Amino acid sequence: MIPFVAFSLKRAWQGFWRNSLMSLAATATMIFMLLLLSGFWIVQSGLTAGLQYVEQKVQVVAYMQETATQPQVDAALAQVNAMPDVKSAEYVSKDEALVRFRESLAARNQPDLTGSLDSNPLPASIEVYLVNPSQFASVVAVLQAAPGVDRVENIQQLVERVTTVTTVIRTAGIVILILVGFTVFFIIVNTIRLAVTSRAEEIEIMRLVGASDAFIRWPFIFEGALVGLLGAIVTLGILALIAAPLSSLMMGFFSVLPLEFGSLVRDVAVLVLGTGLGLGVVGSYVSVRSYLIR
Amino acid sequence: MTLAPDRPGRFGLRDRLGRRSADGSTPAAVYGAVRPVIVFRDVEMTYPGGKVALRDVDLTIREGEFVFLVGPSGAGKSTLLRLLIRDEVATNGQVLVDGVDLARLRRREVPRVRRRIGTIFQDFKLLPSRPVWDNVAFALEVTGAPRKTIAPAVDRVLALVGLTAQARQQPAQLSGGEQQRTAIARALVHDPRLIIADEPTGNLDPLISWEIIQLLLRINELGVTVIMATHDAEVVTALRRRVVALEDGRVVRDELGAAYHRED
Repeated sequence: MIPFVAFSLKRAWQGFWRNSLMSLAATATMIFMLLLLSGFWIVQSGLTAGLQYVEQKVQVVAYMQETATQPQVDAALAQVNAMPDVKSAEYVSKDEALVRFRESLAARNQPDLTGSLDSNPLPASIEVYLVNPSQFASVVAVLQAAPGVDRVENIQQLVERVTTVTTVIRTAGIVILILVGFTVFFIIVNTIRLAVTSRAEEIEIMRLVGASDAFIRWPFIFEGALVGLLGAIVTLGILALIAAPLSSLMMGFFSVLPLEFGSLVRDVAVLVLGTGLGLGVVGSYVSVRSYLIR
Repeated sequence: MTLAPDRPGRFGLRDRLGRRSADGSTPAAVYGAVRPVIVFRDVEMTYPGGKVALRDVDLTIREGEFVFLVGPSGAGKSTLLRLLIRDEVATNGQVLVDGVDLARLRRREVPRVRRRIGTIFQDFKLLPSRPVWDNVAFALEVTGAPRKTIAPAVDRVLALVGLTAQARQQPAQLSGGEQQRTAIARALVHDPRLIIADEPTGNLDPLISWEIIQLLLRINELGVTVIMATHDAEVVTALRRRVVALEDGRVVRDELGAAYHRED
């Protein structure tokens, strides 16, 4: 077993360098395709993060009655916080509401006339952020029923618009990613097939001298894995080099970083390595198979 | 039946088999006692698409024979040889090599049968990027032979074909004859009982062709059965061996000590 693996690895290595032109062409194709795939993957995760950010801006706001007591507020808060669709809920007192209002006026460079009021006209409110904005109705219902709540802002139209837009963009992103995935798959498999085909005679000679299928197949599979691994490593190297300018670009484009940058790096590394190795191996296996089955 | 002991001549199977029998008996009658290496029984071969390459082929080739397979292009010579290495499987009938029915062979058993057969082709089929020594060693390496046994075996067959000095050269640096000798060395390296040669001299000039034929004769003298498809009338007629002629997929002549063309 070990001599067989050693033999296959040795032959794979020799095969790679003896047919260096073909091998390097296959590796180069692998790199381009993996860059394409990871590029789309990164854009897609940026998009997803951006959409998530937009969706999380959607909030259910319940305005409290002037007479609402603190226990009533606490009860309402506890009630919505217990709901699975609720990400967070927070109480905004009358004073806080005024502070916010003043800040927003200042941000827009508008004159602050609130000082001339003798009392604060802004109501206290409960602001609820949702995990999934389309689930707003149940939260609205709970808040409407809660004692001390004056009225709940109707956000149905807003939610519908936001979710329509995000769903379309999300679906388009996934469809494009799948199409790119297929393209990458076929181009890589075809390239490896070409490399194997250029050595059809070698395979034929091996068969004629009585090599078993395994002795013919495994060197090619290891060679495919080598092409995939090399392609993946170079791709990851290139991505590492352009990571900094890329992330600032994404910052500018989506106005938000993918929520967890660390997990994106990990995902892309797994994607590139897995795709490279996997397609290298699958491509070789499929290509050699057509010569073995007779 | 026993081998004719009263036949004049030297020792060795080659002489006994190589001569036309005095009484005109059939090949089977002359050496029926020798083990058959190849048996074709009612073999028919139709390629997908309907082209019939062989029909009603009955043929027995015994150990130690040297058989020329002749006939026009497309008569079925190559198909017959390809059936022997199980590159194709007969549509009907039986093909036995060393008693093994090739049609019943499981896929994984095919390589083992091929290792008992050495194959030689018109176009040599050498790996162009590897030196002579590696080309020969390759045949043993891919069968999983232990490394220790490879080197002496390769050196031995290279000496046999007279290529010891060229062992480190690339095929492209060799003459056609030397390339074919490399292929013969490769065919011999796992000690086959049978050599199948498909027009081995087809690409070589007459002088070199004779060199290759001499080499095959010497291998045959060592006891290896040789079956060789050829168009080389001069060689066939000069050597007076068994000649099997195919035409349109049928065996139309099977004679001992015969010439390339029918003589009667």
